[in-house]
Amino acid sequence: MSASAVAIPATDHDAFRQPLLQASALFCERDERVLFSSLNFTLFPGEVMQVQGSNGSGKTTLLRILCGLNSSYEGEIFWLGEDIDDDREAFLASLLYIGHRVGVNKILTARENLRWSCALHAPVTDTDIDNAMARVGLLGYADVPCRNMSAGQQQRVSLARLLLSPAKLWVLDEPFTTLDIQGVKVLETLLAEHAEKGGAVLVTTHHKLDVPCELRRLNLDDRK
Amino acid sequence: MSEQSMTVQRSSVARQQAQVSTFAAFRATLRRDLLIALKRRNDLLNPLMFFLIVVSLFPLGVSSDPNELTRIAAGTVWVSALLASMLSLDNLFRADYEDGSLEQLLLSPQPLYFMVLAKNISHWLISGLPVVLLSPLLAYMLYLPADAYWTLLFTLLLGTPVLSLFGSIGVALTVGLGSRGLILAVIVLPLTMPVLIIGAKAVADVSLGLPLGMHYALLGAILAMSLSLAPLASAAALKISVN
Amino acid sequence: MWLWFSKLGSPKWFYDLSGKWLPWLVAFMVVTMTVGLLWALLFVPEDYQQSFTNRIFYVHVPVASISLAVFPLMAIAGAITLVWKMKLADMVAKCAAPIGVWFTGVALATGAIWGEPMWGTWWVWDARLTSMLLQFFLLIGVVALRSAIESPDAAARACALLSIVGAINVPIIKYSVEWWNTLHQPSTPLTMDSNSANGPEIWVPLLIMIAAVYCFFVISLILSTRNEILQRERRSQWVMDIIASERV
Repeated sequence: MSASAVAIPATDHDAFRQPLLQASALFCERDERVLFSSLNFTLFPGEVMQVQGSNGSGKTTLLRILCGLNSSYEGEIFWLGEDIDDDREAFLASLLYIGHRVGVNKILTARENLRWSCALHAPVTDTDIDNAMARVGLLGYADVPCRNMSAGQQQRVSLARLLLSPAKLWVLDEPFTTLDIQGVKVLETLLAEHAEKGGAVLVTTHHKLDVPCELRRLNLDDRK
Repeated sequence: MSEQSMTVQRSSVARQQAQVSTFAAFRATLRRDLLIALKRRNDLLNPLMFFLIVVSLFPLGVSSDPNELTRIAAGTVWVSALLASMLSLDNLFRADYEDGSLEQLLLSPQPLYFMVLAKNISHWLISGLPVVLLSPLLAYMLYLPADAYWTLLFTLLLGTPVLSLFGSIGVALTVGLGSRGLILAVIVLPLTMPVLIIGAKAVADVSLGLPLGMHYALLGAILAMSLSLAPLASAAALKISVN
Repeated sequence: MWLWFSKLGSPKWFYDLSGKWLPWLVAFMVVTMTVGLLWALLFVPEDYQQSFTNRIFYVHVPVASISLAVFPLMAIAGAITLVWKMKLADMVAKCAAPIGVWFTGVALATGAIWGEPMWGTWWVWDARLTSMLLQFFLLIGVVALRSAIESPDAAARACALLSIVGAINVPIIKYSVEWWNTLHQPSTPLTMDSNSANGPEIWVPLLIMIAAVYCFFVISLILSTRNEILQRERRSQWVMDIIASERV
């Protein structure tokens, strides 16, 4: 399916699937400027949703709100039909967020970084880490301190977490910015694989996504 | 087996698993922070050097007369320990805030209390414990009476963790600020004064031959209270700062 | 319940109600302040020991008692801000902090002025003065934090948290200072008992002054909160209406 086609699942199709994430009547203003209001959307298993909008339209804010990092909003967010504040631990256990700042400490090696950030959810073995590093194209870099890596390589370290985590929902804020062509391909494949396994992805990017799975668009410029 | 008992069993297994993973996450966080400190020797050495330098300012600034130094020894060591702890507080969350690790910590499904506690413990091990261990040497240089050494060591051992725990709240509140300047000190120092008062007084009192049970009990109570409450406040403050 | 609560938390409601109360409060304050001050300064019999200076007592005690109430007030407002996200509570907390700094400062200053003839020095590390000083530092910390954080929402919650932590710490500070102080100076000359043992001609004007100064505090708080409300709600219709009617 081409990236430009907006694939919206047929309505009778929806009835059989339980939505993973639902947002209802979201409203957010910052510095007395409305970023978005009455924003509703539903994310089903197997979907990749691309959040679009011009600079400063609130893409990052929306993602942070959905993760529960930002609480200055009105409206409701449901995970598997339950308010995310009601069973926060269950929600966080199925969430993987990679923000603008990727969460890679520059003093530690890639392996030490991954070991810690995975242990926050569930511990992983060294073999798992090696495999994941190989998959994102960093074979042999596991024990290199991250300050000796380029920005793109650090981004790849954070993307290795996608392979190491059992989370169902991925929330990725501009994951493509520092990646080279090959890195972009790897990430697109990862997204498609995740969707195929019944996971869901929320991603912001200005990049033209080319994924062989259901791709939906959410344009924040229309939601003022 | 009835369905109900199955559910009960399953949920108790789930709870046990959750406890295991909480402990694993706690240990991983502690290990990570200690590792970072070991890789950056400065973090280990600077508070210690600062402590040493501040203490040696007092004989130069006040008087080198042994009698006078004996009198101010306890207070000097305590004030210097307080300042050294303040100086090193910035390491606690700043780097994590800047590289995004703090967001990962906040999004951990584990109770945030334990994650913050792990970071506070590692901060104390890095900056508090070395100061405690160095204190007898400095006490000697300040002519503290020999019978007060153990008191100094024990009160510092009980008091410096409180400095880390209270300090952590202040850092968590100010970590998002672009220009912090001295605001951290303005917020944190008044909070730590009870510890300073009791600690310094214990060392002074032992030289007078007074009983010390009360001092230890008060310090212990403050430590217990801050161990159970301060990480919660820090966690809440981190959520506000990251917002 | 929720309706009542949200109505109570509505800035407009507070603005309207406080507008009605203000004239009465001001009138009450003017009367009590005049009566109290005149009585205290002119008619209270001179203390044979403390002479004329003990009359500062009639300003010092009310001001100091309010300074002690500021932290609990801010902590309660902070708890409401954190739990119910009520904007009005934060506005009150924000305005109470600098007023609290002033009152604490005045309490310290009047304490020093009173102390000078009694102890022969402007400053004594007496338990009360010291814990007042530490509370002064804590309040300054809250004000400094408020001005350092740019986002009003984050500032509100951060200051709320710091106020709660501070309020928990105030009694600890107070007791540790008292305990620290008792062994150094077993007896402080500054005890209220000697005064309250006196007759009604001493304590009735004191009560009047306490009422007057409390009233003054409430008026300052209301005025400054009303200001804050107008600023924060400047885009809402009712504030625009007020501004429009003022201009005409």
